[in-house]
Amino acid sequence: MNWHDVWIVFGREMRTAFRERTVIVNGLLMPVFLYPLMLWAAFTALVFVQGLTEGYTSRVVLLNVPEAHRALVDTLRAREDVDLREAGVADALWMLDDGELDAVVEVLPAEGGAAALADNFRVRVRYDRLEERSIQARIRIREIIDDYQVGWVQREAEAMGIPEDELERFRVVPRNVSTGREMGAIVLGQMIPLFLVVMVAVGCFIPAIDTTAGERERSTWETTMTVAASRLSVVTAKYLHVAALGIIAGVLNVVAVFVSIGAVLRPLLGGSDGGLSFSIPWLAVPVMSAGAACLALLFAAAMMILAAFAKTFKEGQAMVTPVYGLVLLPLVLGTQTDRTLTPLLAAIPVANVAMMIRDALAGVFHWPLIAETLAVTLTLVAGCMVLARGVLRFEEFLLGSHDGSVWRFLKRRLGRGRHGPAGRVQAGAEALGD
Amino acid sequence: MDESHGGTGVNRGPEGRSVDVRDLRKTFWDESRGEVRAVDGIDFDCQPGEVFGLLGANGAGKTTTLRMLATILRPSGGTAHMAGYDVVERPEDVRRNLGFYSASTALYPRLTARETLEFFARINHYPSARVARRVGELIERFGITDYAGVRVEKLSSGMKQKVSIARTVAHDPPILVFDEPTVGLDVMNALGMRNVVRALRDEGKTIIFSTHIMSEAEKVCDRIAILHRGRILALGTLEDHRERTGKHYLEDIFVQYVTAVPGQDEEVGAPYGPAANGPDGEPGA
Repeated sequence: MNWHDVWIVFGREMRTAFRERTVIVNGLLMPVFLYPLMLWAAFTALVFVQGLTEGYTSRVVLLNVPEAHRALVDTLRAREDVDLREAGVADALWMLDDGELDAVVEVLPAEGGAAALADNFRVRVRYDRLEERSIQARIRIREIIDDYQVGWVQREAEAMGIPEDELERFRVVPRNVSTGREMGAIVLGQMIPLFLVVMVAVGCFIPAIDTTAGERERSTWETTMTVAASRLSVVTAKYLHVAALGIIAGVLNVVAVFVSIGAVLRPLLGGSDGGLSFSIPWLAVPVMSAGAACLALLFAAAMMILAAFAKTFKEGQAMVTPVYGLVLLPLVLGTQTDRTLTPLLAAIPVANVAMMIRDALAGVFHWPLIAETLAVTLTLVAGCMVLARGVLRFEEFLLGSHDGSVWRFLKRRLGRGRHGPAGRVQAGAEALGD
Repeated sequence: MDESHGGTGVNRGPEGRSVDVRDLRKTFWDESRGEVRAVDGIDFDCQPGEVFGLLGANGAGKTTTLRMLATILRPSGGTAHMAGYDVVERPEDVRRNLGFYSASTALYPRLTARETLEFFARINHYPSARVARRVGELIERFGITDYAGVRVEKLSSGMKQKVSIARTVAHDPPILVFDEPTVGLDVMNALGMRNVVRALRDEGKTIIFSTHIMSEAEKVCDRIAILHRGRILALGTLEDHRERTGKHYLEDIFVQYVTAVPGQDEEVGAPYGPAANGPDGEPGA
């Protein structure tokens, strides 16, 4: 292979790619604008719907309220957005079932350490998960009760002379102990790996088809086959160009999401930043870059192998589209926040890279597992290379005389037609081996 | 010897031949037709400053032969040397010394005419320091100046043809292969193409010119090989063919050769007879 030739063909491919509108849209505009805009639109719509449900008055029945907490009833009655109704347990549940109530709140004695404080309590809220109004009522009632309970515990403790730092054991109200930075890392960890994988795939998609099936359709494939560069140099240049465009799409997307995440989430957090802080550990940058590069090399190889069998761009699209499904399937594993990379998960392609990046964003670096992840991905890339090199040796593939179908090609190569009668003739002899 | 750019400064085979083909064969396996001998043991050679014509009906094996010479296809048997290089052993060297023009070798639509010429000069290893001057010369010679900066996709077919010929000779190869170069061209563009071929011949290039148009072969080729069903039926100058057959026009000469092949009488002239579907298993053969 001659790297000077590779560079010349690579330059030609990149130049022509950036003059193609679909490449610009898929490889540059979509990564920069699509996901930030989509997220912003989704969150804004969510807030709008939430606003509509917040306008409803919550119809609530409060059961078993001890005398010590009559103030809670008064608090609820004082609220304009709560309609406190009277009913027994059975009737209340029936009304909830019938849609006449939004929530049934039952006050119960506190358990565990919290029970050490006399009259302390916990609540059970019954609501209809299928009704947006009921869900909203649950959230609203919990907030009111939690506020009341925090204030009550504080007052009781003061009266009993219990120091502030010992109050924790009496609390029943859940409290977020994560810092804004940690929360930000979780949010980024949910979004960036997912978007990066999808965007690298999107970035590779059009160029992989354009440089193979597109060339056949435009009758420039044979033109490329007649230049003095070796087949290996030409294919390497095409491959690197597809991978490069995938990496560009992925990196642009990460930068766009990172820059815009605060503004995108603002509507959801009520116009503030919600105490979230978005920053990426410096070590995560090389890990993400390595992950994006490996994914791009893998997707480019897989997509090009399939697209190269097609005779037209349309055929190429049909052949490569299933790769998306294969990408998204393991990705479901890779975006689960309650797991970190394990030796087993590091062996699952695509999911391993997504999890590696998510861990890195959270500041978790399991170096042996990162090495395993990269090794697994690069092994797959090498496998694709071997396959591509094998396929390239066949003339019917080079000339596109196999009817544009992977299956027909395989059938001819593996089936009865392989050697013809008495094994005299190869089905499309091997191409020149340069 | 390896740095052979610069017109006719070319490796040559025995007796100064720039193209030397011996017993060249190509066999395909076709699911419906079985074993197909697209090229069945042909021999010929070409000299610098000569236009060698491959004349044959559609499917005679012309394109398959030229594709083997251009190292796109691997021969099933026999040998072929281009500029002294074996097409199987030294395919890259063969392509470096070869300009290949055919209907199936289109231009990259998103490059400009100038970028196209630069690309082909560089990728075919024309000396880097001389590429800019060479491209300038080609632009001037082929009258591309007015649209050198325009993308190929926006050019007319006549303009594209000029750019296409210019890119074929961009690296100044000693051997040029033109496969049915006038197919689809109007009269004036076809005439222009023939003039270019003659001019390149006069510069000392070796030109292999395939066509199924008899009048074209008469006007352009110094020697003509009549190719039929993968075999060369006759080879020589137009005068040689006239002497051998007693016919004057190449069309009559061609028919006489073909009808002399056993079992061919009933096929000649049949509008949709078997001869129209030649033995080639390859598209465009």
